[in-house]
Amino acid sequence: MIPHAQKLGLRLSDQQGESLIIEMPYKAEQEAVSGSGIVANGAITTLLDTALGAAVYDQFETFRRIVTLDLRVDYFEKPQPFSTIVVKTRCLKVTDQMVFVQGDAYSGEGSSPIAHGIAVFSYAEMETNK
Amino acid sequence: MISAYLSRLKEYASFDESLEISPYAKMMGFRLRRQDGNLMTAMTFNSNHIGSPYPPTLHGGTVASLMEMAALMQLIWDKDMGHLPKAIDITVDYLRSGKPEDTYARARVFRRGRRFATLHAEAWQSDPEKPIASAMLHFQLSE
Repeated sequence: MIPHAQKLGLRLSDQQGESLIIEMPYKAEQEAVSGSGIVANGAITTLLDTALGAAVYDQFETFRRIVTLDLRVDYFEKPQPFSTIVVKTRCLKVTDQMVFVQGDAYSGEGSSPIAHGIAVFSYAEMETNK
Repeated sequence: MISAYLSRLKEYASFDESLEISPYAKMMGFRLRRQDGNLMTAMTFNSNHIGSPYPPTLHGGTVASLMEMAALMQLIWDKDMGHLPKAIDITVDYLRSGKPEDTYARARVFRRGRRFATLHAEAWQSDPEKPIASAMLHFQLSE
């Protein structure tokens, strides 16, 4: 398990075809401003980073060592207060050394995304099992 | 609230203060520091920051959010803003893996207009010449 993902309470809630659905339940300690119910951007960025990384792992049958080359997050609007944030991933392309992935983040019952992330990961075979 | 917090600190040429005014910043162990007139944001290492256990490396999201905090603090600090600018986007380049130790970030304002600001931030650990990540950020300044 990933300690920081655990700290944020992230969990894989569903898999829809190629897409992973990863959730971050609301926690008061993730608020940017106390009492607002609005989760800090940093937590949303971390949720997207984690979800996109998981989508990359999901592309392979065997374990690979993956590294994030870059990550861009667009913050469309504030999440709904006190709501769970859900990311749905989409793998765009797998090449012999890289994987291109993107994901949309939704909050509460909202049907339009509150944020979008797109990332490039590099990967390598694990040479030996530790 | 944030402006009162920062204006109190402006009287000191150097300081190292926990950013406990924000629950998320507190949970992340973010600190605001000023040294030689330069503002920076620090992240005190905690095992909760680990993203990959073997070997232990920082979760990339923690480094991204540290740089975003550094950019936000720089914007508010420069103009004594009374409200929080809103982040529009962040583009992070991961340059080196983050070791399980304290991390620092600073941000430079490239352009500050009436409505928007563009910043560049970088994060480093023991050696400021070897950044572990850099980022471009845009913020909306108007309320």
